[in-house]
Amino acid sequence: MKIKLIISIIILLAFSACTDLSEKLYDRVTTSEYGLTEGEIETIVGRAYASLRGYSDNAEGGTHAYPACEYVFFLTSISSDECTLPTRYGGDWFDDGQYQALQKHTWQPDNKTVWSAWKYCYSGISSVNAVIYQTEKSPLSDEAKEKIFAELRAVRAYYYYRLLDLFGNVPVTTNYEDLELPANSSRADVYAFVENELLDIIDLLPASGYGRMTQNAANCLLARLYLNSEVYIGRQRWQDCLDVCAKITGSLESDYFTNFLTNNEVSQEIIFSIPYDHKAGTVGNYMASMTFHYEQKWAISAAGDYQWCGNGMCAQPGLYSSFEENDIRRKSILIGEQIDLRTNSVITMPGNGGNQPLIYTEDISDFTSALQNEGARLKKYEVKAGETWERDHDLVIMRYAEVLMMQAECYVRLGASALARPYVEQIRSRAGLSTPETIDLAFINEELKREFVFEDHRRTDNIRFGDFFNPWWEKNADPTDRHTGIFPIPSFERQKNGKLTQNPGYTD
Amino acid sequence: MNFRNFTKYIALIITIFIFINRSAFAQQHITVNGTVIDENNMPLEGVSVIASALEGATTNDNGKFTLSVEQGTQLVFSYIGYVTQTLQAQPTMTVQLLPDAIGLEQATVVAIGYGSVRKSDLTGAISSVSAADFKQGIISSTEQLLQGKIAGLTVVQGSGDPTTGASVRLRGGTSLTASNSPLFVVDGISGIDINTIQPGEILSFDVLKDASATAIYGSRGANGVIIVTTNREKKGGSIIYNGYAAVGYVAKNLDLLSADQWRQYVRENNIGAAIDFGGNTDWQKELEQTAVSHYHNLAFSSGTDNGGFRASINYLDHEGVIINSFLQRMGGSITAYQYGFNKKLKLEFSLHANTDKWTGIEYGIFDRAYTLNPTVPVKQNGEYTQIGGTLNNNPVELQNNRNDDSSRKRLLGYLKAEVSIIDGLKAIANISYEYNLNQGRFYRPSYAFEGLTDKGYGSKTIADYTNTQFESYLTYEHTFAEKHRFNAMLGYSFLTNMYEGSGAERRGFDTDAFLYNNLAAGQDFRMGDVYSYKGNSRLISFFGRVNYSFNNKYLLTATLRSDGSTRLGENNKWGFFPSISAAWKISDEEFMESAEDYLSNLKLRAGFGVTGNQDGVGEYKSLALMGTTGGAAYYDAAAGVWKQSYGVTQNPNPDLKWESTAQTNIGIDFTLFHKINATVDWYYKKTSDLLYTYSVPMPPYLLSTMLANVGDLSNTGIELTLNSNIFKTQNFSWDGTLTLAHNRQKILKLSNDIYQTDVVYSGLLHGLTGLSNVFSQILKESYPVGTFYGPRFEGLDENGKFILANNGEPEILGDVQPDLTLGLAFDFTYRNFDLNISAYGMFGQKVLNAQAMNISYAGRAPSYNVLDSYLKSGINDNVTYSSYWIENASFLRLQGITLGYTFPSSFLKKIGINKLRCYITGENLFVITGYNGIDPEISIDGLATPGIDKSISTSSADNVNYYPRPRTFSLGVNISF
Repeated sequence: MKIKLIISIIILLAFSACTDLSEKLYDRVTTSEYGLTEGEIETIVGRAYASLRGYSDNAEGGTHAYPACEYVFFLTSISSDECTLPTRYGGDWFDDGQYQALQKHTWQPDNKTVWSAWKYCYSGISSVNAVIYQTEKSPLSDEAKEKIFAELRAVRAYYYYRLLDLFGNVPVTTNYEDLELPANSSRADVYAFVENELLDIIDLLPASGYGRMTQNAANCLLARLYLNSEVYIGRQRWQDCLDVCAKITGSLESDYFTNFLTNNEVSQEIIFSIPYDHKAGTVGNYMASMTFHYEQKWAISAAGDYQWCGNGMCAQPGLYSSFEENDIRRKSILIGEQIDLRTNSVITMPGNGGNQPLIYTEDISDFTSALQNEGARLKKYEVKAGETWERDHDLVIMRYAEVLMMQAECYVRLGASALARPYVEQIRSRAGLSTPETIDLAFINEELKREFVFEDHRRTDNIRFGDFFNPWWEKNADPTDRHTGIFPIPSFERQKNGKLTQNPGYTD
Repeated sequence: MNFRNFTKYIALIITIFIFINRSAFAQQHITVNGTVIDENNMPLEGVSVIASALEGATTNDNGKFTLSVEQGTQLVFSYIGYVTQTLQAQPTMTVQLLPDAIGLEQATVVAIGYGSVRKSDLTGAISSVSAADFKQGIISSTEQLLQGKIAGLTVVQGSGDPTTGASVRLRGGTSLTASNSPLFVVDGISGIDINTIQPGEILSFDVLKDASATAIYGSRGANGVIIVTTNREKKGGSIIYNGYAAVGYVAKNLDLLSADQWRQYVRENNIGAAIDFGGNTDWQKELEQTAVSHYHNLAFSSGTDNGGFRASINYLDHEGVIINSFLQRMGGSITAYQYGFNKKLKLEFSLHANTDKWTGIEYGIFDRAYTLNPTVPVKQNGEYTQIGGTLNNNPVELQNNRNDDSSRKRLLGYLKAEVSIIDGLKAIANISYEYNLNQGRFYRPSYAFEGLTDKGYGSKTIADYTNTQFESYLTYEHTFAEKHRFNAMLGYSFLTNMYEGSGAERRGFDTDAFLYNNLAAGQDFRMGDVYSYKGNSRLISFFGRVNYSFNNKYLLTATLRSDGSTRLGENNKWGFFPSISAAWKISDEEFMESAEDYLSNLKLRAGFGVTGNQDGVGEYKSLALMGTTGGAAYYDAAAGVWKQSYGVTQNPNPDLKWESTAQTNIGIDFTLFHKINATVDWYYKKTSDLLYTYSVPMPPYLLSTMLANVGDLSNTGIELTLNSNIFKTQNFSWDGTLTLAHNRQKILKLSNDIYQTDVVYSGLLHGLTGLSNVFSQILKESYPVGTFYGPRFEGLDENGKFILANNGEPEILGDVQPDLTLGLAFDFTYRNFDLNISAYGMFGQKVLNAQAMNISYAGRAPSYNVLDSYLKSGINDNVTYSSYWIENASFLRLQGITLGYTFPSSFLKKIGINKLRCYITGENLFVITGYNGIDPEISIDGLATPGIDKSISTSSADNVNYYPRPRTFSLGVNISF
């Protein structure tokens, strides 16, 4: 009897232990177990900022969503009048015609570069929403939470601002837990959301902090919103823009290119940037490799220790000529003979059906079959031998020059051209140039192009000035309904969320 | 009743019969003292030796018999499963009986998982292969033994890389996410890495195909189960040595321009801007070598009535046909058992261990070899020539200036106890432990062209896993009223998998002296330099089976298994997997007696069962997790440092559940004219709740993809196996085996109420010239996985530009799934010679020749090399994906020819050798195909790039197809003492 009892107990014990199916975690934690201390919360807030560098979505076919290069930067820059991405002789960079469509303003909802911008913004927004949700649950004090929320909401407002600018009518979601499929909000509602969020939080934001959403950064974003208000909601708000600009503190660096050094965090001019450091494992910062010729490395390093380059994006023909000869900013564009540091003679490039010297030209003879050396290259950020694939310079999003130019533009728009001149003069003199007596809108437009060349401003400026819809190199006039002023809602997203309606003028 | 007992009883009955009728008045008697041995020269117990209807004997456990007969009597030696021999009586005789292929089928015991049955009693679709029929030649991964041997089982060795395994797939894949590899069960221990067991250790494979057979393995059986039986000791003692030495070389290269052809092209086309570097280099040849390999296996064993053991060691040194690549493997195994308590208890212990060392290749070398100008010399002034940018750097330098010393250790040990409780009731329990350790060691020196910016790169990685498993089951066997035979089994199993790993890497070495051995010497610190991880999953199962046979004619099997997995969602942890099958031995019916001459062993089988799959679900996939991910550091401006950020790493799915496959199988077995054994099976498999990483809308989801159960997939097919002793005389025999299989896969559904998916694009061509983000395939309802989707080629215009149908509108362009797979083997014996010829083929599948597509475009030559065929093709256009590059990749490969000679035993006896056989094998001697690439046999595994022939990317995962397959010749010997 005793033995039977013991045996039954053993069997029972064995079975209860051997039917336990709960998962035991070792190298990660569930969301409910994390974010309980201030230190942990800090690491979560860090993720919201980390999201600004974008990501590579391998699960959906390697669509990179990087604001510094593929494909978010491609999308906005190629569709503007400053950049282009020709298909090379032999077919390189054809890639299903997605860049040709950007150049020609014939993009369709299934264009993957369009999709990448959507993914960039919403992946960031989802991250921020998750962080807010977790911070809310944490045992931090309400005051501490408020401060964190302010920063997070500012980051989120930045993403929504970009969505407002790129897509117009997008869903606004702020709740991490809500898994209901959202419908689009109107562009006006998105605009109102961004404005209200920023106004709500600006005072709670920190006054300083490199790479953080400071009061200056939020104000600069708000100023951008007001500057483009007519495009976004059909209402001019030049004075509001001026008022916000007045609150922003800052100064210009004496050397324009200090802003674009490998260690450009030293710049006092930068208001908001996305920091990168390959040693910290940051990804998505390799624009130089997307633009230089395959053999460019020999012009940078005789030892050959420069990264592979893919001979892709170039300046749109006409951009280089639009700079005055002594404009120091023209050095942002690489053109002409490239000297092989091993031989001190011009680099020989393979391809084009034979070996030829590598001499970048401003013109591109055939957009759909460009020779390898055609098109001037983007060389705004510092280039160094021995650099890793992931470059170390921080991506400049806002700098004080923008505040000056916004003020100049608003004064011109308000008919006070004389008040605009001192702002422009600061910009011009740093570039080594004199300033004309009278500043008109056309001049502002050109100056914006030169000052912010390859800084991802141009598409928004083109639209605000209306040039965007006019014919230019390898592009006809846009349809008169100007529906191309915003991008289509990506068809890939509409397939997944039936509540999303397409933007006007586009059909899937 | 097992086979051995069964034959003993038969022999005994015959002997008794003979002795009862023994004649008492025979004259001129001689006494015959004889020994009967089997094909391996091992004594054969229970052989009937019959002199006449009245006289006979049975061999004892040493294979010996004594018989007193009249001089000149013809003795008939017979044993079930062996060819009967008739010989004149001699005072001393040694008689060797050889297996009878057809007879063996009848009597063979087949493992069915947690038990075994006679082949004739099977109700499910099970095919078996024994050692004699394994693939010959160099075997670097054990699954290769089965290549082309079983109808419906596809074994694709994706490449000639000695360091990569083969992919095994039964009856088409059932999952979009899981591995689709069958479950391997070694000596009753399930879920074993089959490469733990070396080829020389394996006696037979039993492949369980249909769900009624595999359902006993429940969630682990959806892709079929392969039961592996290892070699066991023989009565008495023996020492066996097997070994071979082989040479291999690359069977085929791409036909690129030679330096002379290049010069001719430049001359004829008046290309002034072409640089002739003065060399004469065949870059493909420069990367290749004649590979020398050798293998040795030494085994010894001993057995008595109460126990026995077998021990073996083996060594394989397998050079790759690409320079600087090899695999070395050393292994050993020991198995021992002992009976106790009057044979009521059997204890068995087994240990298999092996260690691999290898150097792999840099997969980027192939693309560079196809690209680099043939006039560039490999070296100039003793230095590797580097003419340009990164993508056309010197592939020989790339492959040589690196140190890759990887290693792996595998261990499997188990203890098994079998207790006979009462007559017919047995309890079996086993505990097993499997350990697999992978270590990577890599160093690229600071002077290597590829790593100049790294200034030396070293890394060390370590990853291991352990599977600890406990299984116990009871079996009960009873026959009621002589007609009702029952066999029941009930069991429990517990499996826990623990994995962990870590890695460290550094850059910036001031000296290359340490290689990867002193990573601290690297001065370039990065945040991702070190990492570690750990995880666990458990699988818990209850299972049972009932076999019932009435009158030995009507057979019924029912199984039920319930599996619980930690990996699944909170509410769906348990799955139930039932099956039922029946068989009818029609030829045992009286009405079939008249047909006996031409049709026998006729059996009809039908079964239905459900199996599950949770392989596609990694650990912790149902949970909302926080973690760090690569590239997610943030800059803490206040502190001026970078820190690791934490975030949600996946969309949680608490509803994650089992993927289940319901399979119906109808089969028929029969023998025609007592000569041809045939098996035909038809099946329909439907997989529901397909696990797949679906795109989900973002917002509202946090991330754009999520693992979920959505959609259905089906596979329908028919399989035929024929084997026959085609021709036979005293000295000559010819046997043949033919397997044919047809499978059609179809995606039935990709959506459900929550997830809506019309089409999933796959077959990404990223990395090919001008094809970033371009997909070549789709997953779409009513099409199989690997369906090509793109523009249809209509011709070339006068300028050599592609003309595409409907302005390049994409359309369905065929798929990568073969319509027919074939295996064919012939065995000839003539006196002491044996000859084996085996071939296999696949027909009707399409392959995208992306390799040719990528290097055939205007302007490529003369700076880069091109295919000779490209210059003749008239193409003068950009790289364009279209049906032009999709080729029919049907092929028939002569897998191997083996010619062997067994020395006469009379001669060997004098020098104390039992058996000596020498053979020569030629492997991969030719391929019949219309395919234009290097090799038509392209891996169709996985979803990412099935059936795409390319060598573009630098990761081996993307280039599984590219290491060229060798042609090898080997010389081998089998000796037993």
